[in-house]
Amino acid sequence: MSRDEKELDQKIKAYFDNLFSGVGASQQLFELKEELTINMKEKIADYRARGMNDEQAFREAVISMGDLNGLVDDMRKLGQDTARMSIYSSMDNRISAGFIVVGVLLALFGIFVMAMTYYMREEGVAVAGNGIFMVAGGMLFTYGLLTRETARKYAMNKVRAALYGLSIGSILFGMFSAVVTHFSVGETYVSIASLMVFFLGGVGLFLLLALTESDRRKQ
Amino acid sequence: MMSATISTDLIRGHTDTIILNILRQGDSYGYEIYKRILQLSGNRYELKEATLYTAFRRLEKDGDIVSYWGDETQGGRRKYYRITGQGRKHYERNVKDWDFAKNILETLIKGGIEDVQG
Repeated sequence: MSRDEKELDQKIKAYFDNLFSGVGASQQLFELKEELTINMKEKIADYRARGMNDEQAFREAVISMGDLNGLVDDMRKLGQDTARMSIYSSMDNRISAGFIVVGVLLALFGIFVMAMTYYMREEGVAVAGNGIFMVAGGMLFTYGLLTRETARKYAMNKVRAALYGLSIGSILFGMFSAVVTHFSVGETYVSIASLMVFFLGGVGLFLLLALTESDRRKQ
Repeated sequence: MMSATISTDLIRGHTDTIILNILRQGDSYGYEIYKRILQLSGNRYELKEATLYTAFRRLEKDGDIVSYWGDETQGGRRKYYRITGQGRKHYERNVKDWDFAKNILETLIKGGIEDVQG
C-alpha cells in the first residue's frame, strides 16, 4: 500500500471516528463504520479516476454522503442498549457462577459420600451408586462455565450451553453406569455395553456442537 | 453533472421500493446500489448514502433484506444485501400500490372538475 493510500485511509478513519465520537461502542457501530469506510474508499477511487486529486475526491465524497446524523442517533441508542445489556449480562454471570458452585459442590459431595460408604464397607454397587452426584455436578458445572461472560469471550447462548451440559452428562453417565453394572453384574462385557450407549450419544452430541461452534472471542 | 433532478419530497416514500427493486435483480452492496440508482435514473436522481444506510437498517430489521460480509481481502470487506421472500412480496405490493396511485394522482394534479361532472 502506498503512502498516499495509507494517508487517505487514516483520513477516512478519522472522519468516521469523529462523526461517531461519543457514541457508545456496539457491534453494529463497529460494522457500520467498516461498511461506510469501504464504500467511501470505492467512491473516492472513482472520483480520482475522473481526474480529481486526493483532497478534492475526499471532500466530494464527504459531501455526497449527505446528512448522517440520523444514523449517528440510531447508533447512539444502540450504544445505550449495550450499556444496559452489560447489566443483564452481569446478572447472567451471577446465575452462571451459581451453576458452577452448585456443580462443584455436588461433585465433591459425591466423592465424600463414596469415600464414606467405601469405609463403611458397603457393597461396591452402593459405593459406585453415589457417583450419580458427580454426573449431575459435571452437567451443571459445564453449563455454568459456558454461559459465563469473561473479559475475552462472550457467553455462549443458553440452549447451546445446555446441550453441551447434556453431552458431558451423557458421557459421565455412561461411565457411571459402566461402573455400577460392573459391580452389580460382575460381567465386563455387560458393563461395556451399558457404557457404549450413553458414551457414544454424548460424544456424538459433543462433536456436533464443537464442529458448529461460532467465534465468541471479543474484538 | 445533473441537469434536472427530482425533488426529494416527491421520492421519499418510495426509497424502500427503489432499493428492493435493485436488490431483487441481484445481491449488492452500499456503493454499488448507490451507483445503480443513479444510473437507473439517467443521472437525474441521487439517493444520498445517508438515506441509503438508514433504509438498509430499517429494511433489515423488518425482515425484507438480509446482509452478509463479502470475502474481499484487498482494502476491506464489503457488506452485501440480499432480498428475502418477504421483501419480494413487499416489493410486489408496493408496485401494485404505485400503479393504482399514479393514475389517481395524475388526474388529481391535472384533471378539470368539469370533466367528471354532469
